[in-house]
Amino acid sequence: MVTTRTASVSLAPMDSTPSAAPARAINVPQRNEPAGSARTLIEISNLDFFYGAKQALFDNTLMLDEKRVTAFIGPSGCGKSTLLRCLNRMNDLIDGTSIKRGTIKIRGVDIYQPDVDVIELRKRVGMVFQKSNPFPKSIYENITYGLRIQGIQSKSRLDEVVERSLRGAALWDEVKDRLHESGLSLSGGQQQRLCIARAIAVEPEIILMDEPCSALDPIATAKVEELIHELKKQFTIIIVTHSMQQAARVSDKTAFFYIGKLDEYDDTRTIFMNPKNAQTEAYVSGRFG
Amino acid sequence: MEPVLNAEEPKPFAIKKTRTRFLGLTLDETIQTFFGGNAFVAVIVLALITLFLVKEGAQFFTQNRASMTVYRQAGLEYVDLMRQQEEDHIALTRYLFDVRMQAIRQYTDAEGLPLADANARLVAFDEWSGQYSDAIEPVRGLVSELTDVASAIKTKFTIAEDKAIERAQLLDEGKTEEAAAVVIETVDFKTELAVLTGTLPMFKEASVDFAGQLTALLPTAPAFSDAVLQARMDRFVALTRQYLDGFPEVVRRMETWDFEEPIPLARSFTGFIFGRQWLTASFWQDWYGVIPLFVGSLMVSAVALTLAIPLGVGAAIYVNQIATAREQRLIKPCIEFIAAIPSVVLGFFGIAVLGEALRALSQFENLHWIPGFPIAERLNALTAGCLLALIAVPTIFTLAEDALNNVPRAFREASFALGATRLQTIVKITIPASLSGIVSAVLLGFGRVIGETMVVLLCAGNRIAIPDFTAGVTVFFQPVHTMTGIIAQEMGEVVRGSIHYRALFMVGLVLFVIALLINFIAQKIVRRYRISIG
Ligand SMILES: Nc1ncnc2c1ncn2[C@@H]1O[C@H](COP(=O)(O)OP(=O)(O)OP(=O)(O)O)[C@@H](O)[C@H]1O
Ligand SMILES: [Mg+2]
Repeated sequence: MVTTRTASVSLAPMDSTPSAAPARAINVPQRNEPAGSARTLIEISNLDFFYGAKQALFDNTLMLDEKRVTAFIGPSGCGKSTLLRCLNRMNDLIDGTSIKRGTIKIRGVDIYQPDVDVIELRKRVGMVFQKSNPFPKSIYENITYGLRIQGIQSKSRLDEVVERSLRGAALWDEVKDRLHESGLSLSGGQQQRLCIARAIAVEPEIILMDEPCSALDPIATAKVEELIHELKKQFTIIIVTHSMQQAARVSDKTAFFYIGKLDEYDDTRTIFMNPKNAQTEAYVSGRFG
Repeated sequence: MEPVLNAEEPKPFAIKKTRTRFLGLTLDETIQTFFGGNAFVAVIVLALITLFLVKEGAQFFTQNRASMTVYRQAGLEYVDLMRQQEEDHIALTRYLFDVRMQAIRQYTDAEGLPLADANARLVAFDEWSGQYSDAIEPVRGLVSELTDVASAIKTKFTIAEDKAIERAQLLDEGKTEEAAAVVIETVDFKTELAVLTGTLPMFKEASVDFAGQLTALLPTAPAFSDAVLQARMDRFVALTRQYLDGFPEVVRRMETWDFEEPIPLARSFTGFIFGRQWLTASFWQDWYGVIPLFVGSLMVSAVALTLAIPLGVGAAIYVNQIATAREQRLIKPCIEFIAAIPSVVLGFFGIAVLGEALRALSQFENLHWIPGFPIAERLNALTAGCLLALIAVPTIFTLAEDALNNVPRAFREASFALGATRLQTIVKITIPASLSGIVSAVLLGFGRVIGETMVVLLCAGNRIAIPDFTAGVTVFFQPVHTMTGIIAQEMGEVVRGSIHYRALFMVGLVLFVIALLINFIAQKIVRRYRISIG
């Protein structure tokens, strides 16, 4: 599916000085980590994924680095979300899905083996959704939900986690006086950060983010992006985004998908400044997508 | 260039309506009127029904007051004051009989005596209890005499009234002569009642005599060696003392009784709403108290909901959250089909199968530990309740399933993504998020059940009396009558415009108000729930 995008990429990224390179409208900030400095955490090899009889992913192979941010980009319907949801087996909840070939290993363990406890997997691989989805419960209960279902009841422990997670999600100062109000009473941006706080409260190793900022205004987006920078000190983050600037700003590596196939995967800097693939080039420079 | 273009007339700016009209309305307007009209008809019909019910029902109160006034003026009330003393005594004797039954059981079962020996042991007891129950004789004789007197006065009055109506009818038809020929005997209550009230000294005497006998009997009350039996016997003595203490009050009320004291309209109202008797076509006095019917309706509904809530909500949760697509396709139509079974068929099934089966089951020796087994009545509140549960299940199931469906998928996904199991997600997220929807589903199920007629009419046993709640849970094995059942049963036989007819309307009104309330609350709850989901 190809839609024309009008010059959106030529807008200067939020947190950058005016672009000095008009030919490459995307400004890749210097704080992206240099290539080759990280260990591989997730190995996806030769993955074929099906929704019933319909194949959505074709022979995808890529390695994701630990404590780095990896961005998945690509035109709508190319399978970014599908791949992301394979990593915590959320696709299991959809009837008829199957992986016909290939493996996904996290730290060497194949997560699709029959002896894998999906519940344990999901505790280690957290997820933040495109549309913020706090439970219709209080802020406090939203964050402690993941711990309570693990049987943790100690009030002091829960209090501590709530504060740590909210601070981690840069939300503490805004909500510390209203922890027992409904999570739905927050603004959209706050709700999304609440969802991030909820995800980090269970201390996962990996956080999957599926277009976490698509419903947010630029200021809330900037806050979340800032947060991602902080989070990657502790967590491995994989983020799906439609915003080229966002991918450029937050990620260390970027994977470009096209109709279910991994088209190009490299350091973010390389993808945006010097893509090898013509399709990638066309996409990141905004000529289709 | 072609200059011809300029010379052409400018095209008209045609924006006027050119639609065809029908009775002066455009097609759009006709359709609107049609749908609007339909919606409006519903509102009007509801208003008319309400109006009709209230209009027909409201006159009940004046008629009931008239009936209660006759009850007083003809002295029936006076006699009932005395009768109360007799009836309380009967209740006490029954208690005594109960103790005897228990003693027999104790002797035969626990101690293994043959029945004859057990009876022999109770000879002294029987002797005593015989004296106890015979002590009432003087009072009883008086009451039964006066009963005849009072009902004679009432009959006289009723005949006079009938005659008056007859004359009025004849006059209406213009038959003046015939009308004049109708003899109306005026009833002078005061003189008629003199016979009744004149017996007060006799009653006092009889009552004192009676009290004296009882007081003399009490110290010689038979004793039991068994602690439980003795405790019951002690209780009996205490109850009798209490009963005796009430005698002066009876006399006082008889002395102050005044046949001319008017009956307030409110009495007529409370007599209906809180009345504990529904007694019609009685030779003595008819009572229209809704409580026995209301209690009956509540009891069958309670049974029905106790069964239908877990079944309906459980099935909804299973189908919505756990079942595979194939199971869903099987279960949903099945449950929904239950709603399509005519309730008379269910009622028939209840009589022929369920009632019999329950009774047969209760005959099993091994099940006799269950309270109330073996059951005496094949048709009772439980049979009716079980079938009503079947009727409520589809309503509760469908609405609860809807409520569960309305829980955004995102909540569930978020829960799973945090490492929750399916059960945790259902219990902690899905059910709380849909709770108000489920509650209103249950409420509407309740509304469905309390309004159901055919099943209860066929299966509830139709005994118009407040069940004996002292029987514990076995109260549900007693036959009951319901508000809907009574209307269906009696409406066909009553004289239009009679007090009985109006009383049935009032029962209908009560049902209507209950239904209205239930729906109102259910809607309130659902609205709250919509907001909370945001
Ligand atoms: N539940 C589903 N059942 C069947 N097909 C699906 C389902 N979800 C996604 N697909 C198909 O799989 C393909 C990949 O979808 P996916 O959601 O992964 O795309 P995406 O890259 O995330 O797109 P977007 O950027 O629009 O979110 C699409 O062709 C889509 O139609
Ligand atoms: Mg997607």
